[in-house]
Amino acid sequence: MAALICEVVYRGIFQKNLAARITRGIVLSARKSGRWGIAFGRYGDSPQRNGIPAKDFAIVADTKEELEQNMARYEPKHVDVTIAVDDTLSKGVESWAWYGLQPINRLTVPNGTLLMTSLQSFDSLLKDIHKKDAPYKLALLRAKASFSGLWVYREDHTEVRILGALAKIAPAFLTLDGVGEAIREMEWGSDLKVESAKKAHGRLETREVTMTEGNAEIPYSFEMPKWWEMREGVTIPAIPVGKPKESGKGYVPERNPYFKKFTTRTMRPVIDFDTCVKCTLCWIQCPDSCFDVMPDGTYDANMEACCGCGVCEAVCPVEHCITMVNESVFDDNASQWEMWRKDKGGYKTWMTSKIGDKNATVRSHGFRFRGQYEKELETNLDAGGVEITAGIPGENAQHKTV
Amino acid sequence: MAETTTFSNATQILEPFRGVKRVTIEEYFTSGHRTCQGCESALVMKLMVKASGPRTIVLGSTGCMYVANTTYYTTPWVVPWMHTQLGSSGSAALGTAAGLKALMRKGKMKSEPINVIAFCGDGGGADMGLGAISATLTHKEYNSLILLYDNESYANTDIQLSGMTPYGANTTFSPPGKVKRLIHTRWKKNMAGLMAAGHPECRYVATVCASYAVEMMNKVRRALTIGGPTFIHSLDPCPKGWDYDPMLSHELGELAIETGIFPLYEVEDGQVKYYGKTKAIVEGRARKPVREYLLKQGRFAHFLEEDLEYFQAKVDEMWEKWEIPAVVPFRRLDATKAALAPK
Amino acid sequence: MAVVTQAAPAGHEEDKELLISGSEAVAEALTLADLDVVTAYPIRPYDTVMQAIAKKISGGQLVAEYIVAEGEHSQFEIVKHASTVGARVFCGSSGVGWMYAMECLVVTPPLRVPMVALVGNRALDDPGAFGVEHNDALVVRDVGWLLCWIDTSQEALDTTLIAYRVAEDRRVFLPLAISADGAFLTHSQALTMVPPKSKVDQFLPRYNRGDLLLHPDNPITVAPQANEDWVIEIRRQNNEAMARAVGVIEEAYADFRRVFGRGPENPWFEEYMTDDAEVILVGMGTISLPIKVAIREMRAKGRKVGLVRLRWFRPFPTEKLVAALSKASALGIIDRDYSFGSPFGSGVVANEIRAALYNADRRPPLLSFICGLGGREVTLEDVYKATDLCYAAAKAGKSDPKTHWLGVRE
Repeated sequence: MAALICEVVYRGIFQKNLAARITRGIVLSARKSGRWGIAFGRYGDSPQRNGIPAKDFAIVADTKEELEQNMARYEPKHVDVTIAVDDTLSKGVESWAWYGLQPINRLTVPNGTLLMTSLQSFDSLLKDIHKKDAPYKLALLRAKASFSGLWVYREDHTEVRILGALAKIAPAFLTLDGVGEAIREMEWGSDLKVESAKKAHGRLETREVTMTEGNAEIPYSFEMPKWWEMREGVTIPAIPVGKPKESGKGYVPERNPYFKKFTTRTMRPVIDFDTCVKCTLCWIQCPDSCFDVMPDGTYDANMEACCGCGVCEAVCPVEHCITMVNESVFDDNASQWEMWRKDKGGYKTWMTSKIGDKNATVRSHGFRFRGQYEKELETNLDAGGVEITAGIPGENAQHKTV
Repeated sequence: MAETTTFSNATQILEPFRGVKRVTIEEYFTSGHRTCQGCESALVMKLMVKASGPRTIVLGSTGCMYVANTTYYTTPWVVPWMHTQLGSSGSAALGTAAGLKALMRKGKMKSEPINVIAFCGDGGGADMGLGAISATLTHKEYNSLILLYDNESYANTDIQLSGMTPYGANTTFSPPGKVKRLIHTRWKKNMAGLMAAGHPECRYVATVCASYAVEMMNKVRRALTIGGPTFIHSLDPCPKGWDYDPMLSHELGELAIETGIFPLYEVEDGQVKYYGKTKAIVEGRARKPVREYLLKQGRFAHFLEEDLEYFQAKVDEMWEKWEIPAVVPFRRLDATKAALAPK
Repeated sequence: MAVVTQAAPAGHEEDKELLISGSEAVAEALTLADLDVVTAYPIRPYDTVMQAIAKKISGGQLVAEYIVAEGEHSQFEIVKHASTVGARVFCGSSGVGWMYAMECLVVTPPLRVPMVALVGNRALDDPGAFGVEHNDALVVRDVGWLLCWIDTSQEALDTTLIAYRVAEDRRVFLPLAISADGAFLTHSQALTMVPPKSKVDQFLPRYNRGDLLLHPDNPITVAPQANEDWVIEIRRQNNEAMARAVGVIEEAYADFRRVFGRGPENPWFEEYMTDDAEVILVGMGTISLPIKVAIREMRAKGRKVGLVRLRWFRPFPTEKLVAALSKASALGIIDRDYSFGSPFGSGVVANEIRAALYNADRRPPLLSFICGLGGREVTLEDVYKATDLCYAAAKAGKSDPKTHWLGVRE
């Protein structure tokens, strides 16, 4: 008599199809050993948005009654396995306004498992993952985050690797044979994918995490008002207009305090203020109004508001002035401009180390041209392929001139 | 409480921004909306109110820029904003303008020009709300702007095809299948041309693309200044529905213009004026092949060569056959042309 | 055309007595209320109100933005938005026109838009029919509209003024629909007292949108998309506003009597010969006329029959109605509406009263009648038949809950 509850935390749209494959795969794999199951998405996440964290769930149980017991909730209150298919989710999840910053391991039961796809070390991830008041296991699959869009799927085997890994984590529910059988029956299944699942099963790395380990930051949260505290007429006060940065110069907009959006970000712009020509393009083209205008006329991307779309890099006319860098190599949301103002030399060193890291500056955020995924996956399929970036406008500021 | 002001139906005089450095620094639509990474429509919202300034009321009909933008009990709006029903952008603009006008001319509210902008998506504007927009564009005594942000699908409800979805595109209502490769075989409505041609007293209709931010803002400023009901159609690349890396929103906007798929023009008091790269095309610059645009988007990944050719031919027709290229699809009979020609 | 028929009686120097239809009476009230924005779209029978208003506009008596919309959906949306920027607004429709505006009707209560609308009750299509049925107005009974029914020109004028006073009260801020049966709006003119503007100004303050005003001086965001974390709280607020409306309505009628020297003591329903009634018939709207005539005939023959004509349906005057009805020996509820598949197949009013009586100490036998659909005449014979059945139930001390259809060819 038992049940296994899994959540898949994923990037909206980019990984929507991936998450659906994983949760379906869990249920159909468990079915091979006679279990009952259900796969569902958190209704409130729909419609998903590119990058905004969302959740799918899979529950498998020995009996229909046990299944029902766990289904009678909008969202499970605790899960045996949290699956995060992008390791930048380790910094926390804010899916909606007023949700606050929710640690990635928030729902993981004591001694449960947090399974992630990541190329980072355990220690590096634990700098980001919030502390938990119970021990749990951190399990890593060595793979990059798999991103694609709604219509064209990136067949990099991530979904089967997760299933293979789960067979190791919860063998009582998912046998490796059951997983293999289920994969073969999927319309997207193949023998090669079964092999990938087996490999992942064999290569899964796991480590115990104690209560003292993890990011000590207290995540922000909000208390929702009671019905009589809310303004009538479905009305709320507007945001104030914002003010100059300092001594009447520059401009910092006021921002929505209840939805910061930075957990949507998987890459962030790193700005070379010394080469900035103050052309305004990053500022004016940013859909999220994340650039603060500095007193000297440069633009500082506010890291609480930036969601990492990369448009600023694409429109910046100066080579290497704005470079998108993977979120995992940063530890906080501090202002780059303030860092630069305090210590220009120190900033240069910091910036160069960030944008010089080839692994951290390769961008893979979905479809760019037809045939791209197939080409990328021709080599090194085991690690999720090799991204093609040449010739993409904005990518690493290639071919741009003032 | 009557204010001692004299009512006039004047508009705010919003001179064009002369260059990007002269653009208003303040944000009237700010961070903290819940749109996709690289959402061009969110950018349109930001630029729209940057152009209009603080004395503006914005009405937003149901769609992405309502659902994703403003999640209760929060807001990204600095200027007053109100939701209106999916097909109601026209009525919302008209009702708001009429309310203000009534109160001002009766001395119940301080008389001043307040910009009224109602926006709609392509579903709300070109499908459901077409009738109400059309009606509003005939009410010449009420100053308002209707801005259609066209991301070419019902993007908010998870990408269903609309009357503005391009030929053949993949949507959740038109999935390419083994038997039917293309379910959606209708050609997109010509909204700006329709609005300009059908409403002789609407003084200003324009098409814009946020990839050209300053020009886009200046069209908004012109529409608000000229007065009466006005209409702007904005083409907004949508990383979610079109399936591309959000970084490329800006580039796809440019490509839509450069391939001639989406023309940039304004119609002021009946006169058609092309601008930007469209003007260059009219003046003879070659259009880029549509495949450069289409094959960068996952929604066309199922296209065969014949589909690309059909698409190209339809776009060619807009430029080569239409009486007013890319604006009005009428073709005069040769006999008529001859009769009208100067003797 | 309104013609002054006689000088105002002493003590009411400034009142005028006019011979006008219900539609004209509403237009008189709107002029006195200094309406700001009004939208029109044709459908019988409500459109006669707009015809009367259009004359007021072209004649210069009423200064307002008068907009002929391209459909009911826009008609209601336009005034909704005008109301949010502080304008006093009016609108209306009938039958399927009201249905066409349905989306716009359901959004006004949560937005707390105090629009006043006139519903010229009309049967729903198909078949297209002009005659009265109350189903059109009743479709909004659950969503937060204040609903009342009128049946004289005087009541039309008075209720329109009261409607703005109630709807625009900050404690309420809810939309209000005044329902009226077709014929009296269009086909009958009655002597009606029209008060002077000075009195109306004493009674009806300016509409003040207050903290909900959509204006650059009061920057707010109105009605963003909400997820499941918020909606039930918003509904709870709406429920409270409807509950507060009860006191506001009583206040408004008391003040109306003070200022104008007329109007009912009991705002909620009219009681006709109920003091000693053994059988009380209940109905809404102009159905009261044949019932009153029949009651007088029956009383002449020794039958003690009375009538309760409901004015207010939302908020429903539960306690007062129970007190008035539970003393009778039998009740006959005559619905000019239907609710197919409802409990016992009864009309809407009958089942509301059944529910209201559930906790009453005394529950008389209750009979449900459906009558006069599609504008079919409600005859004295229909009323006699209903009364006979009520007396039989009173004698038996119980009632068969089945619903009786009256005046149907069988």
